[in-house]
Amino acid sequence: MALIAPAPMVVAADYLSLAAAQHAIFPEAQKFEAVTLQLNAAQRQALTALAGRQPPRGRLAVWRVSGPTGEVGFFFTDEVVGRQDFIDYALGMNADGTLRAPEIMSYRESHGGEIRNAAWRRQFARRADGARLRSVVDIRNISGATLSCEHVTAGVRYLAALWQVALRPAGVPRL
Amino acid sequence: MKLSSFLKTAIVVCVVGATSAPAWPASVPIDLEARVAALESELQALKAQLAQLRAGAAGTTPVTAATATTADVAAAEQVAPLSWSGYGELNYSRPADVPAAARFDLARFVLGAGYRFDERTRLQTEVEIEHAVSSAGDPGEVAIEQAYIERELGGDVRARLGLFLIPSGLLNENHEPTRYYGVFRNAVETAVIPSTWREGGIGLQGNTRSGLRWDMGITTGFDLSKWDANATNGIDSPLGSIHQELALARAADLSGYLAANYTGINGLRVGASVFSGGAAQGQAGLRGNRVTLWEAHARWRPGVWDIAAVYARGSISNTAAVNLALLGNSTPGSELTLVPESFYGGYLEAAWRARIGRPWPLTPFLRYERFNTGASYAGLTPGPAPPALRDRSAVTGGLQLEFAPGVVLKADYVEFSDGRVGDRFDLGIGYEF
Repeated sequence: MALIAPAPMVVAADYLSLAAAQHAIFPEAQKFEAVTLQLNAAQRQALTALAGRQPPRGRLAVWRVSGPTGEVGFFFTDEVVGRQDFIDYALGMNADGTLRAPEIMSYRESHGGEIRNAAWRRQFARRADGARLRSVVDIRNISGATLSCEHVTAGVRYLAALWQVALRPAGVPRL
Repeated sequence: MKLSSFLKTAIVVCVVGATSAPAWPASVPIDLEARVAALESELQALKAQLAQLRAGAAGTTPVTAATATTADVAAAEQVAPLSWSGYGELNYSRPADVPAAARFDLARFVLGAGYRFDERTRLQTEVEIEHAVSSAGDPGEVAIEQAYIERELGGDVRARLGLFLIPSGLLNENHEPTRYYGVFRNAVETAVIPSTWREGGIGLQGNTRSGLRWDMGITTGFDLSKWDANATNGIDSPLGSIHQELALARAADLSGYLAANYTGINGLRVGASVFSGGAAQGQAGLRGNRVTLWEAHARWRPGVWDIAAVYARGSISNTAAVNLALLGNSTPGSELTLVPESFYGGYLEAAWRARIGRPWPLTPFLRYERFNTGASYAGLTPGPAPPALRDRSAVTGGLQLEFAPGVVLKADYVEFSDGRVGDRFDLGIGYEF
């Protein structure tokens, strides 16, 4: 069983530090509390089925986010391979499971850096179908950054599926 | 003492405590595995605390003490410093006018390797074998397509040093068969933009969050002394016949390039580039010959449509003296390929990504191209300028089926404007990983 801890990011082209990414995605947050997840076999199976085909993944970490009026949602950091190397990105998810636009924390490859485009990332914002996102169909790719777009989209789908399977609060409907 | 130093000290103390002289009587059993597990647990907790404290110190938000912070939601895969990529294409082509000239060819087999030296420095290479066999008696060749060191400079700017692709047009930097329509690369980005076009030198590249990518650099350029007036290579692709590809490249004259691409609107890519530099390279009979190639391109993907357009125009200066010398050295009556003063081409392409089963694996497309590799020739003194070549146009229609991620089956028919010459039916398979 692999153990993954929220750890300080060690990155190449630092676009955003962990703190800056947290602030960018959840400006209203007052507290980020690291979350422990231990999935059972059924949850793992459900996660795999829901998330679909995935690129190689690095470290994944989850924080529960609280604001002035209580729980706001979850903050994730994740690493997925672009073409050859990891893309580090952060994602926010509201308490109801809708997405906030991801932030690219680090990009290490020669091509495909256009994925930082705000317009491309905004396609994720407020979407409720995160666990069903399809590249090209739901999230348009950037010409010249196809693999980066596809893999980050798949990564977001994984995180949304993880929320469905293991983080969704009782009483909040499945999306 | 800084927190990180404190933690390091604490960890060292723990480890030393665990491995130095025993603190217990030798008769007391020590469960080393349990101690290691405990230390590991402590270390994870300290790491998590450090992460949260850093986040807090950076002014994000107040942070409470971390709880236990391990998660087993995914198996982390380590990307090794050495990584591999590749692409290839296998083509069958049957000319309409000369069926006997049909060919089946392993056109390209390319392996790429990347190596990360540290967090900011990486090597990117690609080695290509064309036409399956490379030997003195075979048509194939082995070439290095890319070999450069890239260094992150910060602020989303990076520098490259080595042999790298010139950012020109839509295809040159995206030349893998899964990324373009048609069994073969389009005529404009072969005859006018000599893809796969690479030069050796130093380049800078930057991206902005608004969607602008810019490139600039100083590189090797073309060598006009390679022009072969007795071959038709110069008609097929003027720049392709005098490129150097960093094979003992002459570098008396260098070139420069500038490129900009904007992708800040979803589905849109629009850009332009210019490349210019001397091509005389200090060779006898050549002087002041400058090669300039500029182009503009756009790709628009509204919904299921994929629409692309490229226009490119090139020029070679001071060609009159060069052509006079070529004519002077020729045998009377022989047909010579003279150096054009200008050449150009453009195309418009539309593809419809059909939704069948998986998202859009079947893609019919249509492309119209118009190009001229000898659009004008400098006037010869004495005597008139050689006549310009006629524009050629080509219509390509085809189908592509991506039957697995990164694997595409292609079929197309190409019809040229000048009779049936060059018309052909093509089948191909391409892959990229």
